[in-house]
Amino acid sequence: MRILIIGAGEVGYNIASRLASENKKVTVIDKDEAAIRRLSENLDVQSIRASATSPKTLIEAGIKESQILLAVTDSDEVNLVTCLLSRHMAPEIKMLARVRNAELDDFHQRFRKAAPHIDTIINPETEVVGTIRRLMHIPGAVDVGDFVEGKVSYAGLRIPKSSKMVGMSMSAFSTRFDKDHPLIAAILRNTQVIVPRGDTRFHANDLIYIICEKKDLEEKLNLFGLGHKPVKTALVIGGGRIGERLSRTLVEDGIKTKIIETDLTRCNELSQEISGALVLHGDGSDQSLLLEENIGQTDVVVPVTDDDETNILISLLAKSMGARDTITKIGKTNYHPLLPAIGIDKVVSPRLSAISSILQDVRKGKVLSDISIFGEQGEFIEAIALDRSSITGKPIKKITFPKGTLLLCVIQEGQVIIPTGDTVVDPGNRLLLFAVNHAVKKLETLLSVKFTRKE
Amino acid sequence: MNWRFIGRTIGVLLVLLGVSMAAPLGTAVFFHDGATLLFLDAMGLTLGAGLILILMSQALDPTAYISQQAGMATVALAWVAVCLFGALPFYLSPDFTTLADAVFESVSGFTTTGSSVMTQIEAAAKSLLLWRSLIQWLGGMGIIVLSLAVLPFLGVGGIQLYRAEVPSPVPDKLTPRLSDSAKILWMVYLGFTLLEILMLYAGGMGVYDAINHAFTTMPTGGFSTRNASIAAYNSVYFDYVIVLFMVLAGINFSLHYQLLRGRPLVFWRDSECRFFLILALTLTLVMTWDLWGGVYDRFTDALRYASFQVVSIITTTGYATADYEKFPGLSQVLLLLCMFIGASAGSTGGGIKCARIMVCCKYCYREVFKILHPRSVSQVSINGYPVSDALIRSIMGFLGLYLGIYVISSVLLAALGMDLMTSLGAVAACIGNIGPGFGSVGPAENFAHLPAAGKWLLSWCMLAGRLEIYTIIILFAPEFWKG
Repeated sequence: MRILIIGAGEVGYNIASRLASENKKVTVIDKDEAAIRRLSENLDVQSIRASATSPKTLIEAGIKESQILLAVTDSDEVNLVTCLLSRHMAPEIKMLARVRNAELDDFHQRFRKAAPHIDTIINPETEVVGTIRRLMHIPGAVDVGDFVEGKVSYAGLRIPKSSKMVGMSMSAFSTRFDKDHPLIAAILRNTQVIVPRGDTRFHANDLIYIICEKKDLEEKLNLFGLGHKPVKTALVIGGGRIGERLSRTLVEDGIKTKIIETDLTRCNELSQEISGALVLHGDGSDQSLLLEENIGQTDVVVPVTDDDETNILISLLAKSMGARDTITKIGKTNYHPLLPAIGIDKVVSPRLSAISSILQDVRKGKVLSDISIFGEQGEFIEAIALDRSSITGKPIKKITFPKGTLLLCVIQEGQVIIPTGDTVVDPGNRLLLFAVNHAVKKLETLLSVKFTRKE
Repeated sequence: MNWRFIGRTIGVLLVLLGVSMAAPLGTAVFFHDGATLLFLDAMGLTLGAGLILILMSQALDPTAYISQQAGMATVALAWVAVCLFGALPFYLSPDFTTLADAVFESVSGFTTTGSSVMTQIEAAAKSLLLWRSLIQWLGGMGIIVLSLAVLPFLGVGGIQLYRAEVPSPVPDKLTPRLSDSAKILWMVYLGFTLLEILMLYAGGMGVYDAINHAFTTMPTGGFSTRNASIAAYNSVYFDYVIVLFMVLAGINFSLHYQLLRGRPLVFWRDSECRFFLILALTLTLVMTWDLWGGVYDRFTDALRYASFQVVSIITTTGYATADYEKFPGLSQVLLLLCMFIGASAGSTGGGIKCARIMVCCKYCYREVFKILHPRSVSQVSINGYPVSDALIRSIMGFLGLYLGIYVISSVLLAALGMDLMTSLGAVAACIGNIGPGFGSVGPAENFAHLPAAGKWLLSWCMLAGRLEIYTIIILFAPEFWKG
C-alpha cells in the first residue's frame, strides 16, 4: 500500500514513522529542508522537498499510484488545496485532511459531500477537547476511552503506594475479585510496557489499563476505590482555540467554568463568544489571582496555553494550592516519559490525539478504531475478524499470538465476551486487542486474510 | 557503540560472502584446476566466522536506535571484514606469497579498483580468476545494497547503512522503501550484466571470458582474465561493446530505471548525466585529435583507442587497449584529469563524481560573481533544484579531504622509494578506484613490485575512495572512539 503524506511536522513525522515500521510504502512531501532532512536521515520513507500544492510535485510523488493521501501540514489552506488538486489527479484516492480552524467546522460535512470530497477530516483541537471531557468525568483515571461504538471502555489507573494491590500477582488478583474482576490489558512501569501474564506482579506507581463494559465502568472503578465524583467547577487557563472550544462544551455540560487569558482583546472576544463562562484577565501562573479565584475549591484545573512548560508549572502550582485534579495539555511527546515522576498524570496532546485518529483510518484488515497509549509504545486495536484469517474457526488456545499482544474481548451478537482458551472466534465478530508497538505488524498479519488479499 | 548491531551485520555479510564462494568452487570442480580444496577451506572459514558472529550478537532489540555514526562505523568495519575474508582464497593460493598481496588484490576487487599484483594472470587457476571478477561484481553495487535487496534483515538501521555506503550528493531513492530501491538497482545491474555477457559471447568471446569481463565492466572494476587486458583480443567489436557498457555503468542507475519506465530523454534532461556524456565526448575528440597522425595514422584507430582509454579512465574502470604512457603529454594529462573527475553519482564508478565537480564549479563561479555584485542573490542549483548550503559545505569538505589524502599518501609512497610519476599515479588510481596509474604502475605494468607497506597504504586509499572518504575517515577521528 502506498501512502502519501503532506507535511513532515510532528504529526506527519510520527505517522510516517509508524507506517514505515509497518512496511508500508510512504512518501512525504514538505517544503522545509530541516524537516525533510530529519525524516530522510531517520526513516525508511521517500522524502520530497517541494511544495505539495504543485501538481508536478504530486505526480512526482506518485499520487496516481497511491491509495491514501494524508494532508497534515500546519496550514489548513495547504491541506485543502492539496486535497482539491489530488481529487482531480487521482479521483479514487482516499483522502484525510487536518483542518484546525474552528470557523471551518460547519463546512466539514460540505467538504466531504462536495469538492474536494475529503473522506475524513481531523481537527486535533476537537479531538483533544473530547479527550479532556472524557478525563473529567472519571477523576480517578489518567486516561479513558471507548471502543465498539461505546460498548466497551478502557481506563488507565495509577496504583498508589498505599494500595493493597502492590506486590499482588495477576492470578491472586483474579481469584480475589472472582468473576467481577476487570480485565487488565497492559501495565506501564516506568517507561516499559508489559503485557501481563499470570505471574506478573503489580508494583507501586504502575499505570494499569483496564477494560470493561461501559455500563460497569463506575462499579469497577469503585473496586479500586476510585469512585465517581462529578465535576462541578472548572478553571481553564489559556483562551486560545482549545481553551475557547473547551469552555464552550463545559458550559454546555452545565459546569461552572472560568477562563484565564493574558490578552485583553482576546478576553473581550471570549466574553462575547461564550456567554455562560467567567472570563478573567490575568496571568494563569499568578498565585494571587489563583487564590482570589479560590483555586482550592476548584474541581479541575485545565491549563491549555500554547506553552508546554507554562502548562506543566501551572498544573504543579494548582495541585500544591489544593485543586482536586488537573488535566495538562502538552504538545511535546518528548516530555511524556518524565511526567509521572513529577506527579502530572493526566496529560492530553493534540498531536497524539490526531495521530491515533489518523492511524485508525489507515490500518488495513478492517480495523475499526485504534488508540495509542503510553506515548505510542502500545495500542489498542479494534478489528473485525475476517473470514479465512488465521484467527477464526478454531479455539483461541490453538492460535499462536505474537509476543506482546493480547486478545482482550470478543463481541458476538452484541454480547461482550472475555475470551477463555476454548472461545472460538467467528468471522464477522468484533475483536479488541492490545499490542506493544513492535508487535503491531505481526498482529496485522494474523488479522488479515491469508493468500488472497482484498483491499 | 552498538557492537551487537555491528556484529550481526558483519556476520550476515560474511555468510553471504561464504555462500558466494560456491561459484568459484563450482568452477574449480568443473575445470579441475586444483583450487577445489582451497575454496572449500575459504568457504568453511568465512561461513564459520559469519555464523559465530551472528550467534554471538543474537537477540537484537528491534526497537534499538541506530545513529548515523553507528551506521557509518558498521559499514566501514563491514567492508574491512569482507575484504579480509575475501582475501582468503588469494592467501591460500600458491599464486600469492604474502598477506599484503592477497589483501591488496581483495580490496582492489571489492572496491572495483582493478589494480593487480598478479604477474602471470593466464597461468592462474580459472576459479581464482572468477573469484577475482565476482568480488568486483559484488562490490560494484555495494555489499550492503546487495544484502538489503536479498535479505530483509536490516530493518533496523538499514537506512543508516545505506546512506553510509551510498553517500550520494543527489537525492536518489527510487521508491519509498529501501529494500524495493535496492532490488530495483540490483535488477538493473543484473540485467545489464547478462546483456553484456550475451553481446560479448555473440562477438566470439568464450563463455568464461565473457562472464568474467561482464562481471568487471558493470561495476567499473577492470580486472581481466588476460595479462594484456582487453588489448589481448584486438577486436573493434569488443572495444566498442565494452565502451558502451562502461558508459552505461558510469551513469546514475536511477536514470536507467527511469529510462526503463518509459522516459526516453532522461539522460539528456538530467544535468549531471548530460555533463558526464558531454565531458567524455569532448575529451575523446580532443584526444583523437592529439593522437591522430602522431601515434595512429588512421583516424578510425585514433578514435577507437582514444574513446576506449577516456571512457575506461573517466568511468574508473581501468581496462587498457593501449599503453597510454606512450601517448603525447596532452593526452596523459587529460587522463590524469579523468582519474579525479570520475563517473556520475549513483553509478558504480568512483572518483570525485561529476555532481560534486559541477556543484564546486558553480559555487566558485557564484563566489566570483558575488564580488562583482555584492548584493546579488543566487543559489547553486542542479537539475533545477537548489543545493543547500549544508550540502555545498559537505562537498567542499569532501574535496578538501580527498585532495588532502591524495597528497599525504603520495608523499608517503614517495618516502617508500617510488619515483614521482609512480607515487602520484598509483595514489590517484587507487583512491579513485581506477586501476592502472602512471610510471611503474602504468597499464603495461602492475603493482607487484611495490613494497608491502605501500600495498597496505594503497589498500586503505582504495577503501577510503570507495566509501567516499567520510565513512572511513570517521574511524580515525579520536572523538569517534571517545564518544
